[in-house]
Amino acid sequence: MRGILNTGRTIRQGSYVERKNSPAYREEAASLHMNQVDMLDLELEEGSHVRVRSDQGAVVMVARPADGLARGEVFVCLGPYANFLVNPETHGTGMPDFKTTPVTIEPTTEQVPTVREIMERYGGVGYED
Amino acid sequence: MTGLLVKNAYVIDPLSGVNGEIMDIAVRDGKIVEDVRSGAVVIDAGGCLTLPGGIDSHSHVCGTKVNFGRYMSPEDMRAGRTARKGAMHVTSGYSVPTTFGNSYRYSAMGYTTVLEGAMAPLEARHTHEEFTATPHQDMLANTLFDGNWSIMEAVRDKDMKRAAAVVAWTLAAVKGFAIKLTNPGGTEAWGWGEDVHSIRDEVPHFGVTPAEIIETMIQANELLNLPHSVHIHCNNLGVPGNYQTTLDTINLAPDLNKDRQSLYLTHVQFHSYGGSTWQDICSKSEDIARAVNARPQVAIDMGQIMFGRTTTMTADGPMEWKLYMLHHNKWSNHDVELETGSGIIPVYYGRKSLVNCVMWAIGLELALLTENPWQCMLATDNPNGAPFVKYPEIIALLMSRKLREYEMKVIDPRTEHFVPLFAIDRELDWYEIAVMTRAAQAKALGITRIGKGHLAPGAEADIAIYPLKPDELDPTVDYQQVMAGFAKTRYTIKRGRVVARDGEVIVEGANSTIWSRSDVPPEYDLNQDPEFVKKFEQYYTVRMRNYPVQDVYLPRGLCIRTEASL
Amino acid sequence: MKIEDVVCTFCGCLCDDLVVEVENNRVISVENGCTLANEKFMGDHRLKSPIRREGNGWKALSYDDAIRETAEILLDADRPLLYGWSGTHGEAQSVGVHLAELLGAVIDNTSTVCHGPSIMAIQEVGHPGCTLGQVKNRADVIVYWGANPIDAHPRHMSRYTTYADGFFVKEAFKERKVIVVDVRKTESSAVADEFVKVERGGDYAILSALRAIVRGKRDLIPKQVAGVTREQLFRVADICINAKFGAIFFGLGLTMSPGKYKNIRNAIELTEELNRHTKFTISPMRGHWNVYGSNEVFTWITGYPYAVDFARGIAFYNPGETTSVDILKRGECDACLVVASDPGAHFPRACAEHLARIPTVQIDPHVNATTHLATLQIPVAVTGIDAEGTAYRMDGVPIRTRKLFDGTYPSDFDILGKIYEQVKEVKGS
Repeated sequence: MRGILNTGRTIRQGSYVERKNSPAYREEAASLHMNQVDMLDLELEEGSHVRVRSDQGAVVMVARPADGLARGEVFVCLGPYANFLVNPETHGTGMPDFKTTPVTIEPTTEQVPTVREIMERYGGVGYED
Repeated sequence: MTGLLVKNAYVIDPLSGVNGEIMDIAVRDGKIVEDVRSGAVVIDAGGCLTLPGGIDSHSHVCGTKVNFGRYMSPEDMRAGRTARKGAMHVTSGYSVPTTFGNSYRYSAMGYTTVLEGAMAPLEARHTHEEFTATPHQDMLANTLFDGNWSIMEAVRDKDMKRAAAVVAWTLAAVKGFAIKLTNPGGTEAWGWGEDVHSIRDEVPHFGVTPAEIIETMIQANELLNLPHSVHIHCNNLGVPGNYQTTLDTINLAPDLNKDRQSLYLTHVQFHSYGGSTWQDICSKSEDIARAVNARPQVAIDMGQIMFGRTTTMTADGPMEWKLYMLHHNKWSNHDVELETGSGIIPVYYGRKSLVNCVMWAIGLELALLTENPWQCMLATDNPNGAPFVKYPEIIALLMSRKLREYEMKVIDPRTEHFVPLFAIDRELDWYEIAVMTRAAQAKALGITRIGKGHLAPGAEADIAIYPLKPDELDPTVDYQQVMAGFAKTRYTIKRGRVVARDGEVIVEGANSTIWSRSDVPPEYDLNQDPEFVKKFEQYYTVRMRNYPVQDVYLPRGLCIRTEASL
Repeated sequence: MKIEDVVCTFCGCLCDDLVVEVENNRVISVENGCTLANEKFMGDHRLKSPIRREGNGWKALSYDDAIRETAEILLDADRPLLYGWSGTHGEAQSVGVHLAELLGAVIDNTSTVCHGPSIMAIQEVGHPGCTLGQVKNRADVIVYWGANPIDAHPRHMSRYTTYADGFFVKEAFKERKVIVVDVRKTESSAVADEFVKVERGGDYAILSALRAIVRGKRDLIPKQVAGVTREQLFRVADICINAKFGAIFFGLGLTMSPGKYKNIRNAIELTEELNRHTKFTISPMRGHWNVYGSNEVFTWITGYPYAVDFARGIAFYNPGETTSVDILKRGECDACLVVASDPGAHFPRACAEHLARIPTVQIDPHVNATTHLATLQIPVAVTGIDAEGTAYRMDGVPIRTRKLFDGTYPSDFDILGKIYEQVKEVKGS
């Protein structure tokens, strides 16, 4: 399905923000909040893996139902999963379109990458605590 | 230290009674001394005008609203840029320069001490941070009490000693220098979008009037034996017909102190308007000057405006709103809980605007009509009337009738019908200028006691040597040279160290922050007052323990300590 | 040992009433704090020592070596970018700006991806604001626009707005009306008296409609604007006009959405319009505890709040050009110093990829996403826990954060000061 990706803060994201390599942070930052009807359409259950793609690439996340979202709207807290998809264009303002990224969403059985793995995909070298 | 010897100086030092003597000035360990041993560094002043370092007794250079003036004005930042050079950091800004910009430009003009005109106590830490980054001037902060709830409650209860206790606690907590009242009562009313319109209007919810606040604070100030007097920005700033409010305020001032005024009225130009609308606004400088001449217990500064672009900024929030309604450019406002307000808008003073021309004339008239120069200080309420870099031009205007007449030809021709300026013959001399730019400030601020504003042995060695030879110049005609000379010293010496030469700062600064502390008896110590503590915790959003400015913010603090008469 | 009146260094609320218990150089309990504060103070997972990337692995190195290498990297670069700054104290930020000046670098703070557009709007039309205590003591109407304080600033409502009793508002919860404007339902919209649900991208239109209504042009308003009914818009406008003191707080829902700074400009102009009727203020919900401090420090030294480029010798500012995302997107910088922030997690992918390509040094207490992209990381003390210094609350009130114990880590100020000295030795004065 097509959707528009919105991002923002959540209290759980904030709570784990200084432990970005922890499973708890990953669980929050890789959660794709969706309208429940959209989830039914895609035959997704809470916890199902989805591949989310934008013009920047695709990353696997975990679907979660959310009350406040209309059909076609999805929400991911700010962080490396959402930013994998955000276009760096700022239209001369310095500020990318963090709240309106067009994405497509499809079910997948692939694994959700860790933060470290995402950074390695960017060309980094993972550091193990 | 080997010491420093300034030779062949043409010295004017009004506080020491020196007027144009060629003499040597000896300096050791940052102070003026009788003489220095051979081996001292010698500066040959070559007969040039040598004055105590300049003192600005009312300027806005550091703190929350000043920085917001920069923050909101990239166009002003672009209007004055210099690159890093030698000991000088990058600077930006014309009317609201960066801290280093202010410091270097003041230094180039021979200024070594500057009083920040308005510090909100809650945000004092910010002012002190910027003081540290304004390294070539000793800095002092007027502390705002105009809308202070505890003060208004004490005024309502007619408890002058309680008001004094609040001042003592606050100055000690925020390391402030003196009491500032900006539109007393008006800044609290502005919390509701309202204002007060005379000194007898009641402040909403508090049941007190500006007059009561002013009278109580003048008395409280003397109970604390503070160095400076109450420093007031009167109600009704900028309103046609406001001269009556100003006269009413002057009339409130008793004569309580033998060493200085009991009330300092700032930027009086903005408070000397007759008429009732922008169409019939006229100068009432003669009425104001007459009142000042009759009352040695008051002192004023000019609040001169100069034509061109600048930024207005003041704690007087309601005034800035009114000004915004005229200019419609951009408007910032920042009210401070339990204490005061503030506002900022950019303005342009034009020679084609009759109102602006009238304002320009009034400032000069105040200086020329005040008989005693010790009662009228030269200032622009920087940057409200003009950036301080315009001071040399103002000096030239005061010294030369010819220059004033020249200006008359290029301003709105109707101006002369609304102002007396062009009928005034007086031309100030070098001595009077020296009074109006340093000596009178030192006396008015009460800082001669710490060696400011004069060059007698024991004084701080803050010295400005200008490339001007009074014996060879006629300032009434050579006004261009006067302007150029006051714009750039040959040497600016701060605490015995040459800090600027020919307009360039050559060393890292090491200024002091001067603050006042009045010791009160234990029963007036508000730290121990349960009611004060309770209200603080209820209504402020900062804990009482986190409110005081820690010593670390004053790396070279200089405290003037007094004993309260409570 | 219990320490009172501790300042929380998490969000822009800068709450200063925490009670923290410390034992053996560790925080063991926090009172009065929100979830975020508890996590921050109780957190105990610092990077142990400086680390350097070597091939496909990492090696520990000494602080002296790490500092020397950082200075060398910065000196070798033609166009270094010094980014972050919001998570450290003002004294360290100040050294950072002087370092940038010396290097001819670009220095930028996290405003660039939060309230940078708000700053641009303020530079066009100004900012009618106030300290938070004005709101607490006076406001009878609160508007949260594109902001979700319950998640992002958990104590904002209880300390300053919705639930905070004040001098003129004795029973806040009863006497205050709360309006929330957002594109989605949130925890915060659930407590609103009036929830205005806007279509995505519709904020500008709603703000314009409200301005028109406040100006008395009700007849111009169509039945629906960006998904909001005319009736609701009238109702909201009436609540605002009839307020004794109204306060708008806005978040990234306005700054990041289509329109960006134009949204903020419109919101400020609505506030100005309302001031012709009553008292109204507007304030950005600043995120990091000291992001506003970085704006203040940058401004008094350089004249500009963020995105300052010293390449020309003078300070130059042009958001959209000298902002970090743009510089990284263009692949323009050839070294980056990251201080107290995490662009690896919070910048778009393309920017993070550039950080991995160039020498990137991170000064930060924790292992974060940027760690994996960096070539060098230097751990430091956490301001507010084992380091202290000045912070500016979201409303500009400066508060000194407290050091709760003497730890073993150097502060940002110490590390940056040493880097500065080494750079200065080479660059002269």
